[in-house]
Formats: sequence, C-alpha cells, structure tokens
Amino acid sequence: MKKIKFFTNFNEEENWLNDMARQGYQFTKKTSFSYEFESQKPENAIIKMDYRTFKKREDFEDYCALFEDSGWEHIAGTKSSGYQYFKKADKQGSIEIFSDVDSKAGRYKRLSDMWVLLACSFIPILAALISTDTIDPGVMLDPKSLYFTPELWDLNGAAFWRAFLFETPFALFRGFFWIILPVMIMIYLYFAVKANKQYKKTQEDKITRK
Amino acid sequence: MERDKHLPLTETVYYILLAVVEPAHGYLIMQKVEELSGGQVRMAAGTLYGAIENLVKLKFIQPVASKDSRRKVYAITHKGLDVLRFDLERMKHMIDVTTDRLK
Repeated sequence: MKKIKFFTNFNEEENWLNDMARQGYQFTKKTSFSYEFESQKPENAIIKMDYRTFKKREDFEDYCALFEDSGWEHIAGTKSSGYQYFKKADKQGSIEIFSDVDSKAGRYKRLSDMWVLLACSFIPILAALISTDTIDPGVMLDPKSLYFTPELWDLNGAAFWRAFLFETPFALFRGFFWIILPVMIMIYLYFAVKANKQYKKTQEDKITRK
Repeated sequence: MERDKHLPLTETVYYILLAVVEPAHGYLIMQKVEELSGGQVRMAAGTLYGAIENLVKLKFIQPVASKDSRRKVYAITHKGLDVLRFDLERMKHMIDVTTDRLK
C-alpha cells in the first residue's frame, strides 16, 4: 500500500508511522512524498527518525551499524536521502535514539540547513534567466506580445475566441513559467523557517524541563 | 596561563575520549562510556554518532584502520589526549580545594 503525506515535524511523523504499525501496516520504503507499507500483523512498533546525509558510503554503513548494534533496525533511508528511519528491534535498552536535548534538536537544524541550501540552489538559475533577458517584465504591460497566432487580434467573434482561448495556456507558459522559480524558493524557505522554529522549540525544552 | 578553550569538557565528551584511549568502534564506545561512568552516562545511538562526528571534526579522535568492513574504529589523537589531561588537572584542582574547605 502507498500513502502520500508530507510532514515538517519529526515527532508527528514518528507517531503516524507507529499508528500505522498498530493497524498492521509495516513501513518499508519512502520516496519524496510517498510511504510504502506492507500488511503485517499489528504491532506496537517504536519507530524513530533522524536526519542525516553522508558523503561516503562507509560513513553511512558505520552509522547504520552503530544503530543496529544498539538495537535499532534501519528500515528506510539511503546515504543521501537525509531522512533515516529506525525501528526498535529488541526489548531492552532505550526507547529513544537521542539521549540529550541538543542532539534531539540537532536533526531539525540539519533539516533546516538542507532546505536553505535547496532554496539557494535555485537562485543562480533565476539570476541566469534574468541576466539573459529570458524573464521580460515588459510582457506584464504588453501581454498581447505573448500571442504568436498571426492576425489574432484582427479576428472577430467565435473565431477570435477559439484561437484566443486555445493559445492562452501557451502564452501564459511563455510569459510566466519562470514564476515557478521564486515560488519554489519561497516554499523551500518556508520549510527551512519551520524546521528552524522546531529546532529552537526543542532546545527550549531543555530549559523548561530543568 | 590561559586555559584551553575546550575546557571544561562535558561529562559525555570526557568519557568518550577516555573510552577511545584504546581504539574502539561506535557500539563499543557506547558500552565503555556506560561502564566507565558506573552506569551514570547512557548514550543513545543518534547522540553518540553526533558526538563522535563532532570530536573527529575537532581532531580529538580519528578513525584508524580496522578489520571490520562496516564499523569504523576510532582512537584518541595527541590533541585529544592533551585536552583530556588538561581537564583531569582542572578536576584534580577542584577536588583539592574542595576537600580543604570542607574539612
């Protein structure tokens, strides 16, 4: 079974996966937005998440080995996926993968940094489009220039509307496709801010708990 | 004398450095830390991994050659040993002055 979902909070995501396990769906794989589950007998699973990317294969192996040695099965995540999912494999030992607040908060910091980096990677593309005049603010004042149908503006009645409506989606794409770039940048920055807020909030727990 | 900017070490960092005086891989470090601290310091996997990464960055410990293909083995560096000794001296001093005053 596949489910599409998107979380910005690790605790909520962990709870959801544990809930699914309780209903008999064992989480097995994750792609960007979709979670894959296998039917299994319901269990009280403890699934925990970390966020880490690795430069080298051996670093990733070493990381997984440490978790496995201490009783956590690595159930989803790859060297560069960032999101890493662990399921508690044995009865004894801690039910947490973080034993202090700083490291528990640290995963939000790494997540936030990733979103900022992703947002920044779009800026050179946007800059290139602006400097090569591919983005032409002039079309805002003269939207007619986006229509290429010969004599379009001389047509009348039904013939005009048919041709006009047919070309409008193409014209919009021609003139405004670049808007997707600033939109993506804004969305990524929004996620970065959200993760950073969660980072600060988790760290505040340290003060209030004492 | 100006004191090393890494002092005082946190309890976990101190025990990790002490644990890798003899080379050890991640899980062994976790067990040694618990044993050396008399069961007081129990580190979870995610926290220990981050701590090791940080100590490698500070060049207090370094990966050394090992037979285990999956697990990296870490050992303390000269820099790490120095810091550990400085912190020991710091604590010795604290113990000395405290014992005197509380007599």
